[in-house]
Parts: sequence; C-alpha cells; structure tokens
Amino acid sequence: MSAELLINKVSKEFPGVLALNEVNLTLTGGTVHALLGENGAGKSTLIKIITGIYLADSGSLKVSGQEKRFHNPIESTHAGIAVVHQERNLIPEFSVEENITLHNPPLKLGIINRKERTRLAKQALETLGFEIDLNERVKNLSVAQMQLVEIAKALVTNAKIILLDEPTASITGSETSKLFDVIKRLKSQGTAILFVSHKLEEVYEICDTVTVLRDGVSVLESKSLADYKQGEIVDLMVGRHLAERKNIIRKVDRKATPVIELKNLQTSLGHRNISLSLYPGEVLGMYGLVGAGRSELARSILGLHAITGGEILVNGSVVKIRNFTEALHNYRIGYVTENRKEEGLFLDFPVRKNISVTILAKILQRLSVINPKKEDDIATKYVDRLGIKVVDNNQLALTLSGGNQQKVSVSKWLAAETKILIIDEPTVGVDVRTKASFHELITELANEGLSIILISSDLAEMVAVADRILVMRRYEIVGDLDNSKDYQNMSRSIMNSIQAV
Amino acid sequence: MKLKKILNDQRVVLTLLTIGLFIFFGLRNSAFFNVDFVIYPLLRDGATLTVIGLAQLCVLSIGHLNLAVGRMAAVSALVAGASYQYWGLTLVQGAILGVLAGALLGAITGWIIVKSQVNAFIVTLAMDFALLGLVTFIYVTFTGATAAFTTKPAGMDYWRSKSLKDFCVAGICGPKSIPMMLLPAIICLILVSFMFSRTRLGRELLSTGSNLRAAKLSGIPVENRVMTAHIFSGTLAGIGGLMLAYANGSFTAAIGSQVMLPSFLGPVLGGTLLAGGAVAVLGTFIGTMMTLVIRQGLSVQGIGLETLNIALGLVLLLALSVGQIQKMFTSIKLRGKK
Repeated sequence: MSAELLINKVSKEFPGVLALNEVNLTLTGGTVHALLGENGAGKSTLIKIITGIYLADSGSLKVSGQEKRFHNPIESTHAGIAVVHQERNLIPEFSVEENITLHNPPLKLGIINRKERTRLAKQALETLGFEIDLNERVKNLSVAQMQLVEIAKALVTNAKIILLDEPTASITGSETSKLFDVIKRLKSQGTAILFVSHKLEEVYEICDTVTVLRDGVSVLESKSLADYKQGEIVDLMVGRHLAERKNIIRKVDRKATPVIELKNLQTSLGHRNISLSLYPGEVLGMYGLVGAGRSELARSILGLHAITGGEILVNGSVVKIRNFTEALHNYRIGYVTENRKEEGLFLDFPVRKNISVTILAKILQRLSVINPKKEDDIATKYVDRLGIKVVDNNQLALTLSGGNQQKVSVSKWLAAETKILIIDEPTVGVDVRTKASFHELITELANEGLSIILISSDLAEMVAVADRILVMRRYEIVGDLDNSKDYQNMSRSIMNSIQAV
Repeated sequence: MKLKKILNDQRVVLTLLTIGLFIFFGLRNSAFFNVDFVIYPLLRDGATLTVIGLAQLCVLSIGHLNLAVGRMAAVSALVAGASYQYWGLTLVQGAILGVLAGALLGAITGWIIVKSQVNAFIVTLAMDFALLGLVTFIYVTFTGATAAFTTKPAGMDYWRSKSLKDFCVAGICGPKSIPMMLLPAIICLILVSFMFSRTRLGRELLSTGSNLRAAKLSGIPVENRVMTAHIFSGTLAGIGGLMLAYANGSFTAAIGSQVMLPSFLGPVLGGTLLAGGAVAVLGTFIGTMMTLVIRQGLSVQGIGLETLNIALGLVLLLALSVGQIQKMFTSIKLRGKK
C-alpha cells in the first residue's frame, strides 16, 4: 500500500514552547493509525498542521506523494483531507443539514441545491445509523449529538484521508460501535484514517498501526499496534511506569437514611417513574446511552427543569429545590457540569475567582467586602489538594489545559463543602494520568463522606469508580446493579439491561 | 521593565493621551487654556457625563446595555423640577425624589428583562420610546407645553457655578478651575469602583457578565443580579440627569437627549468590555474627559461641526484600537527576535 500522508521531521514552535520536534507520521491507505499521547503531547498541534490551521516551522508534508504546504483549512480540504476536531466546529444557529454540508454545499447555478443537500446529509447520518431531525438547529442538540453531526460532516466530503481527534470522547457504546463499523468500511475502501483517543480499549479494537507522541517528540513511529501491550503503550506515553489501580469494593451503609432520594419522579422533559436513593458516602454511577436523560435528570433535580410529579427527599424530608442557589445554600448540593468551558468556568477570570465563586458569603469582612487573603488561601488549598498546575492563583482559567480546567471546576464545589456532588462526565478529553487521578479523587472524597452521583458514558470509568450503577434508557431507569468491579461481567450486565426492555 | 508594565495599562496610556491632546490644543490656540470658558465647563460636563457613563457601565458589567439611559436622566430631572415648582420641596428633597424615580425606572426595566427573557437591547430601546412619551406627558401636563420647570430651589446655583475656589478650609481655597459638580462625580466613582473591585455584589455582577450559565450553575442568583445592575443604572442615570439640569439651570424636556452614545464612549474607551465581565471605573472618567478634550479642542480651533464629527470619529477609532495596535507591535517584535 502507498503512503497517503507522509510527514517528515515536522517541527512547530510557539512562544516559549517547542510543541513538535521533528515528528514523523505515515498514514497508509486502508489502515487505521492510532496517534497517542498525553494532553499537551502535541497531537492536536500535529492535526492542525495537517489541516492547514498552523503552518509548520520546518519539515515536509506529502499527500499522495506530492509535497504540500497548507496555508488554510480550505487548501487541506481540497487535497482530500477531512477532520473531526476535538473542539466543536459547528455553527449553533444552523441546522444539522446545513452544518453537515458546510464545507462544500451542493450548488445549482450558484444557488444551494436544497434537495441534494438533504440527500447528502441524510446519507451521511444513515451510514452512522444516527437518527435526528435534519432541520433541528445544532444549538438544541446534546454534546454527543453534536459530536455525531461533526463526524457526519467529515464523512460527507468523501476524503482520502480522515483525521478523527477524539471522536468518541462524548458518545457512548452503541454510537461508538456504529462509528467503528463506518471506520471499517472506509478502511476497506482504501481510506487512510488517523484515530486519536484517550480510550486505549477502543484504540486496540480499531487501530492497526500506532505513533506515540511525548512532549512533542514521536517516541514510537508507525509501528504495528499488535506488537505492543497496553501497558507498554501507556509507559511510552507517560514516560514512566504507571501503577495499576487496585479495584477495591467499598462498604456503603445502605440502611442509613439516603442523603437524596427520588420517588416516582416525573419531569417536564419526559422522565418517568424515576426512583433512586443515594446513601452517605456512596458513589452512585449513572450509565446510559446518548439521550438517555441523565444530565437532564440531574438538572431537573436542581431546579433547572420543572418537576411534574413525584417527590425529592433530602436527608429524609421532602424538599422543593427551585434553583442552583437554593440547591447550594439550603441543601448543599453541587453540580460539576460536563461542559466545563461553557458552563463550568469563567474563562477570563483567574483561578482564584473561579474557585471562590460558590463561597463568597463565607469569605466576607465588613461592608460585604471579599477578604482577599481568605480567598487566596482557599484557592491555594484546592490548587494544592487537586494538584492543579498553575503559575499562581491569578492565572486565567482560559490558559489552563483541559484536565486542569476540570479540576478548577470541581474545586469550587469542594470549597463549598457540599454534602452531595453530582459529577457529569468528569474525564471527557482528559489524558490517562489525569483520568486516574480523578478516579482516585472521587473515591477519596467518598471515603471522606461526600455522596456522589457520577454520570459517565465511559464504561471503564463506571466500573472503576462507582459502588452501584444505575442504567438509564429513554428517561427511565432500567437497571440497578451492584458493582463487582469486574469489567467483563459488569459491562455485559449493563449492556444486557439496556437492551432488555 | 516596570515602565513597560505601566505603559501597558490602558488607563495610563489614555491619561497621557488626554493630557497630550490638551497641551497640543492649548499650544495651537491659547484660548483653550481659559479657565472660565473652557476648563471649568469642560470639567463640569466631564463630571456629568462620567456619572452617566457609570450608569451605562453598571449594565455593561453583566453584558447588557441601557439605551434608555438619557431618557431615564430626563425623567429624574423632570420629577425633581416638578417637585420644586409645584410641591415646594427643597433642593435635597427634590433630588432624592428624582434619583428614586431613576432607580424605579431601572427596577422596572430589569424586571421586564428578567421576566420576559427578551434581550436588554430591545427592552431598553422600547423603554426609551416609552419614556420619551412620559417626558412629554410630564411637561405638557405640568407646564402647559410652554418650556420647562423654571423654579430654581435655593442652593442650585451653588452647584452650577461654584468651584473649589469657594470652598475654603482654614483660609486656603482650592483652584477656580475645579467645579463643585466634580464632587458628586468623584463620590459616584469611588462607590462604584469599590463595589465592583471589593464587594461580593460586584463579584456576582461580574461573574454574571463573564459567563451567565456558569454563574447560574454556581448558585449565583443571576436574575437578582440582572435587576441590581439595572437599578444601579437607573439610579446613576437619575443622578446624572439632576447634574445636567443643575448645570443647565433649568429642567427641560431635552435633558439627556444627547447622552446615549457618549455614555458608551467613556466606559468602552476606558477598557470596559461590551460583552460583560470586566469594568473600568476610573477609565470611564478618563475616557469621558478625552472625548470632551478632543471635541472642545477641535471646536476652539474653529473647525466646522461636520469636520469636527469626522475628526472625532477617527480619533475615537484610533483610541479604541490602542489594544489591537499594541498587540500588533508585540507580535512584530516577537517575529523580529526569531
């Protein structure tokens, strides 16, 4: 097979950082190539060079044997390269259909041919087996649905080279397997595919060859993936040996009064007969496919959507929570959102202010003035405790890496000393090492008595962290499983309960 | 290095620019240095416009804007004027009533925005029209379509024409160029600055402006904060309206009709973000003074109104691009190093 894309000794420097240092990468038609590395290793930079967003400082890039130099994404698209970026690249106000055909809308006499556009978009979505209203505006979609639209957008271009930067970051099992079917088909048609993911199980399932980046250097170049064990790959990425986490089954007292209990809850969004109990110090997992209504349930409990039936009990007494302010101050419930950039952080605020936002009432001196020393001390406490990498507490949240941003987003709830914490997809787009430290943190917090509801679409994460796993499907709870922490067994039972109904 | 840091502060740059322009105009035409006819009125106008700029800044902090700021000022002035003329209130009583009217208008605006979920731009635009009607209604009802409320309460001229020269402590008096009107403006500047930089309320307002959803999900009562911002805006607009009326010496319906656009200039030149989340309180004063110096300076040069507006527009565009221009220079320098 010929090399569709050949990258030779590419370097890229940003002020103060050598992001890529003579990196090599070869993509061959009909193979799926894994690009692995920790956050900040240079994966996204490399992809941005291939797609013309950045210009390499040195080195060469060849597409089908021809030397190329892309100055903008349009040139790269014309050379037959399609990409699904890690960040969303959709226009929120446009419809699904318009977004999918954005790069190359079908024209007739210079005017957009709507029929053809619908056909193309429909076809792309059908190959993904993903049903959605083509005229829905993208801003009304969930994160996972957006991701699927993003993938459809790449498929519609019929590219020879497809780059997938964390395509499965926020989609769940069944969508992933559909995506993999599509990847396999593209592969059999001779397309060269680059696959970037933090989920190594998936990488081993779908990829043939592998390149590992560490600190901007390719430490493993285009080798056959089958020759390396998962542990070896992780060691290469991290640069040292990462200890395997022990799976301990925690003891939770289920005779105690639940800290939060739902009885036959119904919401205006369509949740039906939701009954669940969260016990003190428990990590209750909530697993489900995209659109199962998990985040929506959490937000309804906290008053964002109307409750139309049933009861919410906190510490045994019936409550009405009207908004997040009441949830925080009256019931000590916090919510770590899945969209940290849009909803979790004040990006143009320093870390200090991001952490103190929930506890302003507690750090006041006379005249309702914020005590700067107290604020700084609390920020320092959580920066240290969670190992947030900052220059100082005044660093803007904007400039932190994804993992560190997520830690800041969690910190404000820890600072508020909540009793109940709902954590929504905490490790999306977070690297192996940070992910492991998050899992440890969750367990640690639960050991200290915090009760946690963990919403995650990452099955491995569920099995590793949760004490009990609820399975949701179409706004109903369809399974309640004690976690044996045995991945094989658990994943099978979870999948069974999803399919059973 | 330290000097460079100081020069990177937009406020320092603006101040230097304003002083530079002032000296430049003065050297071109020494009439510009006249205390009675130029400097005193310039500072008096600056004081009023600063307060109205602060009214705008309060809503800019949460990413809203208040297009009715001028008309709110007018209603406050007319309420005070009517109270002097028909109810015989004292200067202070009438002033308090006027400012309360402004606060009430702000509260109504905020309430409508929160309850209707309609963009502040639309709501305040509608408010502006409604108040235009109300203003006409007030003076037609009371004055019979003549002109304005003409009763001057005792002490009004003090604010209109006195300066620090009339304010003596132990036989030492202040300069004649500083109008008494600057005093309320300075008090407003200090209070607003304190509120935003130090207090919980200020932080909550800025958080709401920085990221509304994040603020909401972090338990900040964002709807109350939207109300607060608009109440502050109405209150300050009311104070500004009274200052305008006292400076003019009469309570006419035309008060505040020219201040809506200038109310944005001060805060934005000073470094306030239109999108919300960051305010520049002192910058509002400096920015306001700069626009006034340019306007006054050009008109002393005898430049016609049309040319004056073109020149003003260009200078403002340049001043607003200072940040971008600085960035451009830094990136050129960086490239040069390599």
